Amino acid sequence: MKRRRAITNLTVDYLTGLPQFDIFTPITINEACSLLFKYKDQAKVFAGGTDLLISMKQKKANPKYLVNIKNIPGLDRIQNSEKDLKIGAMATLDSVSKDNFIRERFSLLSTACNRIGTPQVRNMGTIGGNICNAGPSQDTIPALLVLEAKLKLVSSQSERRVPISEFFIGPFETVLGQTELLTEIEIPGPPQGSLGTFQWITKLTETDETLVGVAVIMIIDETTSRCIDIRIGLCSVAPIPMRARRAEAALRGQRIESNAIEQCAQIAAEEISPRSRADYRRKMTSVLVKRSINDILHSTKIVQGGRL
Amino acid sequence: LKRLIRLKINGETYEVAVEPRTILTDVIRDSLGFTGTKKACDMGNCGSCTILMDGKPVVSCLLLAMDAQGKDILTIEGLAKNGKLHPLQQAFIDHGAIQCGFCTPGMLLSAKALLDINPQPTEAEVKRAITGNLCRCTGYHKIVEAILAVAAENKGYA
Repeated sequence: MKRRRAITNLTVDYLTGLPQFDIFTPITINEACSLLFKYKDQAKVFAGGTDLLISMKQKKANPKYLVNIKNIPGLDRIQNSEKDLKIGAMATLDSVSKDNFIRERFSLLSTACNRIGTPQVRNMGTIGGNICNAGPSQDTIPALLVLEAKLKLVSSQSERRVPISEFFIGPFETVLGQTELLTEIEIPGPPQGSLGTFQWITKLTETDETLVGVAVIMIIDETTSRCIDIRIGLCSVAPIPMRARRAEAALRGQRIESNAIEQCAQIAAEEISPRSRADYRRKMTSVLVKRSINDILHSTKIVQGGRL
Repeated sequence: LKRLIRLKINGETYEVAVEPRTILTDVIRDSLGFTGTKKACDMGNCGSCTILMDGKPVVSCLLLAMDAQGKDILTIEGLAKNGKLHPLQQAFIDHGAIQCGFCTPGMLLSAKALLDINPQPTEAEVKRAITGNLCRCTGYHKIVEAILAVAAENKGYA
């Protein structure tokens, strides 16, 4: 959500409200997909509404039809097993952040969801909406990137699973087809012995957009203190959310000591391509990567199968 | 094209005609006259239009009225019972937690939602629960004090 022009928007929108549209409320995924197929680019999927209604009030989006998927049963289900975690696209950010299993085993995702907006927005906004909105600063993405989540995309003809690293193609642009619906996020169980964290800074206040967001998971060999594996996910530092793969490679297999951490953070800062406030974002990326690694080093809890 | 919908607000059912684009805040304020729900930023930032929907705080300015069908809505008008103020309302008065009063309905409802699930929150939890409610008189300190006071004497709080 952009805030810089809030004062002018306030005046204009107060006078005009929402543009005209018609709304459909399907109760099955199939029905929703048929509607999307029928109306193609005239229709927009209406989930939590916390982003879409704002764009519509600001006249940045003007869909003729909304396909309201709130009443499709089961789309907000959170299912967990020892092997993986499946989050329905309509699960609210609040329910993801408060789910006991996610808090215990995937705490970085819980942290990220709990960081978004305000309590009210978290009660309304959905994880699927956060992903599909596809802004460069969506907070759930770094965590989902390092967890190597897969997105289940359904249309009336087909169904496919896309790794989240291949989902984004530009700011607010994804591979999601006009007639496709994101129904579920599938997250494999965390790697054995892994630890993770999500760190961020905002532009000004707690509820502002994220200026730099960093999710890291690591597996550390306790006896030799070598880094067996590391994954670094970043948001708000490039046109699309990204993995800092060069920085990961620099630390993988190394003994974790201050020089190696410093070098890894430095490479991450070079790897990103921020467009505005570039110097500051680079510096903060390096700070947050370092902070994440140190945070993981000092956390002692490892539960079986990993705790993220 | 208007459609008839039923809304359950403060325990009563109301029938109103709305367009698909009608925002819930406008129905609550203009059609039904519950003007305790305020409208300010209209963008989900300020929280002055906060209501409780099935017990959870939401901003009514980002909800379509049609979407609120079948939900249990509580506005500030439904907080006092039988002419007796809710303990939070009394505490806000006692602690001077009201200045201009514009943020107060939203603050009270966010606070109620917190105390309903967490009757004895810490100061940090209270502050976090009201992050979605802006007070431009900047009277946050007294608001937090008032909520904590209710939490401290939380005997028989429903």
